[in-house]
Amino acid sequence: MTATEGPLPTASHSIDDFVKGYSETSKLRGFRCPNCALVTATWGLACPRCGKADLVETELNPRGRISAFTVLHVPGDEFLNEAPYAYVVVELDGGGRITGWMGGVHDPKDLPIGARVRFEPSYKPGVQFVREGEGSPAG
Amino acid sequence: MRETWVVGAASNRFGKMAETGREAATRVALAAIEQSGLVPQDIGYTFVANAFGIAEHQGHVGPLINNGLGIPDTPSVTLESACSSSSAALHEAYVHVAGGFCDAALVIGAEKLSHLDTLTSTSYFSIAADYAYETKNGATFPGLYATLANAYRQAYASTDEQFGAIAIKAHANAARNPHAHFQKEISMSTYLSSPMIASPLRLYDCCPFSDGAAAVVVAAKEKIPHPSVEPLVIRASARAGSITDMQDRPDLLGIPASRTAVRRAFRQAKMEPKDIDFLEVHDCFTIAEVMALEDLGFFPKGTAAKESAEGVTARDGRLPVNPDGGLKAKGHPVSATGASQVVEIFEQFNGLAKGREVPKTNTALAHNVGATGGSCSVHIFSRR
Repeated sequence: MTATEGPLPTASHSIDDFVKGYSETSKLRGFRCPNCALVTATWGLACPRCGKADLVETELNPRGRISAFTVLHVPGDEFLNEAPYAYVVVELDGGGRITGWMGGVHDPKDLPIGARVRFEPSYKPGVQFVREGEGSPAG
Repeated sequence: MRETWVVGAASNRFGKMAETGREAATRVALAAIEQSGLVPQDIGYTFVANAFGIAEHQGHVGPLINNGLGIPDTPSVTLESACSSSSAALHEAYVHVAGGFCDAALVIGAEKLSHLDTLTSTSYFSIAADYAYETKNGATFPGLYATLANAYRQAYASTDEQFGAIAIKAHANAARNPHAHFQKEISMSTYLSSPMIASPLRLYDCCPFSDGAAAVVVAAKEKIPHPSVEPLVIRASARAGSITDMQDRPDLLGIPASRTAVRRAFRQAKMEPKDIDFLEVHDCFTIAEVMALEDLGFFPKGTAAKESAEGVTARDGRLPVNPDGGLKAKGHPVSATGASQVVEIFEQFNGLAKGREVPKTNTALAHNVGATGGSCSVHIFSRR
């Protein structure tokens, strides 16, 4: 048994990039698994689906459609002034799923499953999405 | 592996505790030990669950509880597995006793959050989700389960009234449980008119923040050849994990860790769903009960809400579910919840569940989920 040689495994983007809503680069980033084709925004060193440690850094498509969501009337502590707002699960064009939030959604009827959305960098934490063709309600 | 029993189980009343978690934990622990016929000096290991002890500015509470029980030499450890912390502690106790590392072990779950305001409590709860990817993204605990509920209701036809029936059943059972936080029944109109928390979850779809403490004593059969109580034989103690983040799950229609843990548990017990008389399932929200009943194999996918609304899971139904009122109405003091499910099964087996008895008590299954499914425990019990 010898000590580990060489650098420890690394990934070139961090959890903090997601938390900051990719505001520094305005590009969604994640990983693609060449083994099982999972595309994920979640930081890791191996694929959470198939376990292979061959993840490749990739830029995620900023456009997609809503696959699941909720409208929160009682907000989380980072979103005290935003309620009601939506927490959304977005199926990205070209593969991959990412969670985010959308301001200005007051009623579930305002946001049909399948609605087209796009990533919009924001001063708030997390990943903001807006409806396709609309500007950002939160900068 | 040695045959291992639950020989004592005690809980306080869930709700708002004046005393600290440490005091409540010590009190229920001694009650459970006395009920078993053992003495504290018989305990070989104390497994404590107190996920939010930090909210009381108290870590490393195990030795303090052992001191209070007069057994300072006994080893202890605190385990954290979010809402499944004390069932994780029970699993460790089982492993120690069944594996012969000690003859008796103590499992304690305790939580106190009522001294905090709602926002701070919500904030504590949400650190058990993926804090960076979900909480910082605006998700709350009800928000995450609401997202699952929306996905479920998109896939399977179900109605507000069906989910309301599950909440009404929980309150009806809790009204007959002296340990319960809410001891009053609710009507469908109360349910339907309660405020929206995170669509489609209304207030009465959600469990409350509760303080509480529960303890369980586990012992080798050979340690107690002639028990004074009806012991629960631990036929299976299984745990599993699954992908936590909504964005990485294969689907949002259930909790994979529940499916894995129950498969392992039934294999251990050499039993199947039809062999189980009643259930304690993790119903932090009404949708969680529906998903649990399907993930555990008791109902086909997409049918549990309808079956529940038709009374199948009522106390006198074909398959009673959560006769204690569940997390939904008995309350959910995070780390005490898993142990308290075992308290209910123990009381049902021993004729102590006065006024809320289920028809058959030869076998029971307890299911306890950590957060939105990153961890899960399933225990199966039977009579001797």
